[in-house]
Amino acid sequence: MTPPVFVLGGYQTDFARNWTKENKHISAMFNEVVSGALEATRIPPEDVEVGHVGNFAAELYTMQGHLGAFLVETHPAFSGLPTGRHEAACASGSIALLAASAEIEAGRYDLAMVVGLEQMKTVDSARGGDFLGTAAWYEREAAGVSYPFPKLFGRLGDEYDRRFGLKDEHLARIAAINYDNAKKNPLAQTRNWFMSEPHANSQDRFNSVIGGRIKVSDCSQVTDGAICVFLASASYARKYAQARGLDLARIPQILGWGHHTAPLGFDEKIAESRDNPYVLPHTRQAIVDAFRRAKIADAWALDAIETHDCFTTSEYMAIDHFGLTPPGKSWQAIEEGVIELDGQLPINPSGGLIGCGHPVGGTGVRQVLDAHRQVTGTAGAYQVGGAKKVATLNIGGSGTTTCSFVVGLDN
Amino acid sequence: MTTSALPSLRLKRVVVLGANGAMGAGSAALFAAGGCEVTLVARDRARAESVVPAVQGIAKSERIADGLRCATYSDGMESLLAGADLVFEALAEDINLKREIFAQVDAARPPEALVATVSSGLSIRAMAEGRSAGFRQHFAGIHLYNPPHVMTGVEVIPHPEMPSGLVTELEQLLATRFGRAVVTCADTPAFAGNRVGFKVMNEVAQLAERHGVQLMDTLVGPYTGRAMPPLATVDLVGWDVHRAIVDNVAANVRDEAPGAFALPSYMARLIEAGHLGDKSPAAGGFYRRSTVHGKAVTEVLDPATGSYHPQDETLSVPFVDEVRDLNRRGRYVEGVAHFFDAVGPQADIARRVILGYLSYGLHRFGPGEVVAGYDDVDRIMTAGFNWAPPSALVDLIGPARTVRELERAQLPIPAIVAAAARGEVPTPLFRLPSITPGRYFAG
Repeated sequence: MTPPVFVLGGYQTDFARNWTKENKHISAMFNEVVSGALEATRIPPEDVEVGHVGNFAAELYTMQGHLGAFLVETHPAFSGLPTGRHEAACASGSIALLAASAEIEAGRYDLAMVVGLEQMKTVDSARGGDFLGTAAWYEREAAGVSYPFPKLFGRLGDEYDRRFGLKDEHLARIAAINYDNAKKNPLAQTRNWFMSEPHANSQDRFNSVIGGRIKVSDCSQVTDGAICVFLASASYARKYAQARGLDLARIPQILGWGHHTAPLGFDEKIAESRDNPYVLPHTRQAIVDAFRRAKIADAWALDAIETHDCFTTSEYMAIDHFGLTPPGKSWQAIEEGVIELDGQLPINPSGGLIGCGHPVGGTGVRQVLDAHRQVTGTAGAYQVGGAKKVATLNIGGSGTTTCSFVVGLDN
Repeated sequence: MTTSALPSLRLKRVVVLGANGAMGAGSAALFAAGGCEVTLVARDRARAESVVPAVQGIAKSERIADGLRCATYSDGMESLLAGADLVFEALAEDINLKREIFAQVDAARPPEALVATVSSGLSIRAMAEGRSAGFRQHFAGIHLYNPPHVMTGVEVIPHPEMPSGLVTELEQLLATRFGRAVVTCADTPAFAGNRVGFKVMNEVAQLAERHGVQLMDTLVGPYTGRAMPPLATVDLVGWDVHRAIVDNVAANVRDEAPGAFALPSYMARLIEAGHLGDKSPAAGGFYRRSTVHGKAVTEVLDPATGSYHPQDETLSVPFVDEVRDLNRRGRYVEGVAHFFDAVGPQADIARRVILGYLSYGLHRFGPGEVVAGYDDVDRIMTAGFNWAPPSALVDLIGPARTVRELERAQLPIPAIVAAAARGEVPTPLFRLPSITPGRYFAG
């Protein structure tokens, strides 16, 4: 049997901040998020044995690479700490988590620190949109295209429309729910922004089309943010629990994971899935793998989902890929209120990428931290009552690299 | 499932009086975004209608206007206030004007309707003098900070006759439905945020007379825990508003910082000559922005002569640059230590202002003071001013060193700081959730 990997909690920066306005270097994000996580968990820094960083494109946004080295700078006890950085576009954070958890499973280390982060407000939105294009096949899909990603995820909606039919009003509902949930999240980027379902349904000067069927209200926004979580072996988790008077059985674990990569180009993905019931079969497979490893039959064994809604169409896709509805019928779960905060299976209680924010390389780590908050009953106003198992879905590119985790209590 | 219970207080219809004023559109946008139907009242219909696009611009939504209605006083108070749950007054800061309108509101308001003023520091009791008991029991200051969609701080100043249950419900509603960081204040001049904030800004304006505008804004600039330099902030709020606030406190308050609210004579002189800050771009304020040969130029006021000189692009203070570099890397503890280790008269000036801020701020809570706890001071200085919370400054400096530095600067030591230095209260002092003080210390 694979040894368990425990999630001991961590810390998230306020996603509403603009670190460029504060005239901060990316090293400040490392310092704040690591010291915040050490303080929140009261983990002695000397106990940390390895560090992993998830980040997409610091070289472009901040002209800075070699990010693993910045972990060493965050505390004198980290001198000599083995570190590295992982990149898989918007799934970078999950890849860092996978690497850290694999090392714990292998018995190399007992305590790993995982930081996911992105500083994105260093450039204007057009230039940032071009940088994000490198998560697609840049030369074929993004070069010379303004805002390539909204267009690609608009095409995902179009493919749903072609195969099953898709009403934009269902996408608007997804946006409104995510913004509503974000209002309950004190670290969400959009917690003080205005959004309403009529606004999301309208198309006007304030809600213009960005690409294809994607309007401003369908998009996650440009976010500066950093997240840190600690992953631990059973022996460290036992020690951690004892020192705090906690019951080991109440400490969440990574119960299951899934990880698959589809062809980079969007056309190739769609061609490949032509005869498949799922539009993104590799995404579906990552979810199924996570369920199998977590020994759960289906999504109804979950209490909540934190999914990748970089655009409303990606959440629409996630609904049927998680199996809440048969393929192509995601609208049913939306209409029946299943995915709302007080619904049968809430999606993105945190507000997700649209509401909480999307610091690209950090999102996978933020999702797992939010899963930890839910399972430990510490999510505050966006707590899903009695949550024991929460799944995440983190997607890099146009549905290219997909990672899914099930975080919960081992029963 | 969420667990937070919503208050039972009804807030469906809001009437904003003076909707076309400085705070009108911002307040209207806040209430509309919270799902209220909002009636915008101005002297004439055109003025009321001009608020609609402003609200849309603030909310970045055309559809937010669906719940807005435009009206004028000539529609008659009875008709304006019919069905109102909240009458929100946002007229100019003129107590006689406000009292006049409240007399009309008193005669026409539905019995359960709340009445609030957005006043930033006038006496709530004085405004309600001569009003009915029902009015007084439903009357409070709701001091929003400008602009409300950016600054989430709000001070609630209940009239002493308002039942405490109603106060609690109002405050819960402002927090849960409108996302406000709520601080309850006693009815004292300038309330909490402006009392503490304008004390610092006025002191910096006093020091500018001797040390210069640009140097003062450099010495106590964003690196000391604020989004904007203090004198640039005075330009933004307007010199007339600054004068009204400090004059009100100077005339009506006796505390441990005598003289701090005395308006510098050069400011009084220049206000008479039309220097009001950003709102008088031709005359200018501490700064004057102009275009020379198609190039934007910033000039700086010389308080001694009232003339303007080009900004000194080469001005650099070594210890300031060093602290900024530490802040830029997120090394805030080292940054503050470096600030207090710096040697020389400029460092002494900067430290005295910062120590004065935390000393004055941490004297404003407790019995007979403005707010109940020091958390309230922290909350309003962060959510209302975007300044580092005073208690977090004590944590960063260290309580024992804070006491030593206050003694050295001959500033009063707040009881809470002395207690922290003696280990009698838990540290760190700063304890507002979800706020990292580091964000306020710019690089």
